[in-house]
Amino acid sequence: MKMTFKAVVFGSLMILAAVVFAVVILPYFHTNKITPSEIFRLRSDEEATGRDIYIANGCVYCHSQSIRVIDWGLGAERIAQAGDYVQDHPILLGSQRTGPDLSQEGGEHPDDWQTAHFINPRYTRPLSIMPAFAFLGTENIERLTNYVQSLGLKNADERMKRQKFWKEASIKAYEAGPEANVRWLHELIPEGWRNIPNPYPTSAAGLARGHKIYQDFCFGCHGPIGDGMGPAQQYLYPPPLNFTILKDRGISGGILYYQIMNGITGTAMPYFKRELESEKIWDVGNYVAVNFINQTDADEEPKGIDAAYEP
Amino acid sequence: MTAAIDDKIQSHATAKGFTLTSACWMVVGTFMGLLGATELMAPDLTENIGWLVFGRIRPVHINIVLFGFVTPGLLGAAFYYVPRLLRTEIYSEKLGVVTVIAWNVALVAVVISLCMGYTQGREYAELIWPIDIMVVIAFALVFINLVMTVKNRQEPVLYVSVWYVLAGVILTATTYSLGNVIWRPNSGALVGIPDAILLWFYGHNVFGLLLTPLAAGVTYYVIPRVCRAPLYSHTLSLVGFWALLVVYTHIGTHHLLQVPVPTWLKVIAIVDSIAMVIPVMAFLINIWFTARGKLGEIHADIGGKFVFTGTIMYFFVSIQGSMMALPDVQRVTHFNNWVVGHAHIGVLGFAGMITLGGIYYVLPYITRKPLYSRFLADLQYWLVLIGMVGFTVVLTIAGLIQGNAWLNGEVVYRILPEIHPYYVTRAALGLMVFVSALIGLFNILATLFFNTREAAS
Repeated sequence: MKMTFKAVVFGSLMILAAVVFAVVILPYFHTNKITPSEIFRLRSDEEATGRDIYIANGCVYCHSQSIRVIDWGLGAERIAQAGDYVQDHPILLGSQRTGPDLSQEGGEHPDDWQTAHFINPRYTRPLSIMPAFAFLGTENIERLTNYVQSLGLKNADERMKRQKFWKEASIKAYEAGPEANVRWLHELIPEGWRNIPNPYPTSAAGLARGHKIYQDFCFGCHGPIGDGMGPAQQYLYPPPLNFTILKDRGISGGILYYQIMNGITGTAMPYFKRELESEKIWDVGNYVAVNFINQTDADEEPKGIDAAYEP
Repeated sequence: MTAAIDDKIQSHATAKGFTLTSACWMVVGTFMGLLGATELMAPDLTENIGWLVFGRIRPVHINIVLFGFVTPGLLGAAFYYVPRLLRTEIYSEKLGVVTVIAWNVALVAVVISLCMGYTQGREYAELIWPIDIMVVIAFALVFINLVMTVKNRQEPVLYVSVWYVLAGVILTATTYSLGNVIWRPNSGALVGIPDAILLWFYGHNVFGLLLTPLAAGVTYYVIPRVCRAPLYSHTLSLVGFWALLVVYTHIGTHHLLQVPVPTWLKVIAIVDSIAMVIPVMAFLINIWFTARGKLGEIHADIGGKFVFTGTIMYFFVSIQGSMMALPDVQRVTHFNNWVVGHAHIGVLGFAGMITLGGIYYVLPYITRKPLYSRFLADLQYWLVLIGMVGFTVVLTIAGLIQGNAWLNGEVVYRILPEIHPYYVTRAALGLMVFVSALIGLFNILATLFFNTREAAS
């Protein structure tokens, strides 16, 4: 084959045109009329402004918005569908998951948690490697929060409704004073969980595990000494619980377990059941009970037969 | 391939300009990479310095490495070897110098706009419309200069390097416009799933139609010259060239295998990703058989050494890329640091090595002086090689940890402490690459401006 100038330049362009037709134009006509999915709704102007801030700061480089079939363990209740993206301009699927997927983030946390987290992510998540976004200023953080809280669209709206309902209830309880607040918190726990025997002894090893978990997950809000004065405290309302007020108010390992497992929706307290296995939840609960509340129901009967590894 | 035109009457201003551009921006690009890597291990290092936030400097790193370091370096070599292969002079050094200046203005605009948060938010298509226009114009100016040089040629036969440069420049100008949705200045994007398909069509082509052809052009020039041997096979040159254009352009959707895009498109992407073995091996067999028995000559020439190493990295990155397009492999590798490792073998190991090789090979010819320091060039070679290979190893390990942990149902947050040591190692290796860029810049500046030694005969 003689490679003339024309053969090279026009040949290349013709190949490109043919390929563009096959892999860009044909798929375009296959995908540009996708019906919106059942969770779809239009974004508000405020949410759209927040999305611009998300784009400007390159959030897409660490956060995907694309829950895959294989993401069964990552906390997704919903696999992404083409109809979720019909207003995304540009689409923000992402190519890295240095941080969690955000396509269903809306309503996972209340707004005040998001604010504290944007100011400095380590305030709420001590191990996070996300940059601090305090430099954006209060207004832009609010816009960004609006956008993040809309992720998941109608699903997010449902979750936000739940957050707002419980936020109101939790503020009312908090403002009624420690006695009433603790009573309210404990009444939310189903009866069986309140009285469940604590299955783990407060061994040195168990408390050491609890200490590690507390540092990795809890101390940004509850503070290193459990007084609720962690760095996130100033942004959160109701503020993080000061554990010392729980003493002699009916606290039990089961209550702590349930609260750590499921979180307290409406407050900044998230659920940890997807991040911590059962034993670790008991251990961190025991750590809090022994060190901060100074009252624990561990090592009490009935315990049944001791676990095989116990000394 | 003996030149009819005496080198001495040519200024090579364009080639020098692009070479210097590449050397300077390699420093900036690798520094941004190093800074980003450091932020991943110490996230509050640049706390509240908005324009240095990770999400802004990551695209600066990528765009500057792509359009500031690799592309100008490969073009610098091309502006030397194209006229030489065609036994003529470059059509217009003046136009070339204007192109170099415009190119640098665009690069400054890239850094400023992205650091200020002006971005289209699409990976590899971040640049805002006015800069898109500058980029397309810059490529058009390069193309005009090359086309007119081809028109003025004394040599009737177009050598394979010339095919690659011509095709690389015109196809990139075209796919760049298309991928950046240049007809929509406000967003530079389509809407929804079609946007993802177009983005990755372009995002992959920016390697396959820009870096690969330009690097292949340099390789096809440097290796036979260094070996003083004729090219092994014209047929393989043809197969490699046309197969690259046909196959590479089909595979962008392999970035979207886990996304709801049409299945037939995924099938095309997977099949063609495997078929990439054809253009890759046609090129590599051609080059490696040309070099057979001549490794001593290659090792003796610093340019040849860089370029040949680049071809080995091309082998690894391409075979790995084909494997990564398999859905079962991608279950583990997608969304994590494995892919970052892959990108660095491709852009630094393959295209970057060949860029440096092209620069070091042509520098003595365009300056008519010997390289200022062969030792420093060798030092740079080893720093890049160790940095890049080490980099890939640690990121691959980190990626496997992430991918397997996620498949095991663990959340992203709990994996962060596990990959931290690899992030630290990666930043240390990145420091080696950055230092190598500084050494390279010094060596190239010294060769261009302070070298008082006479040209070797």
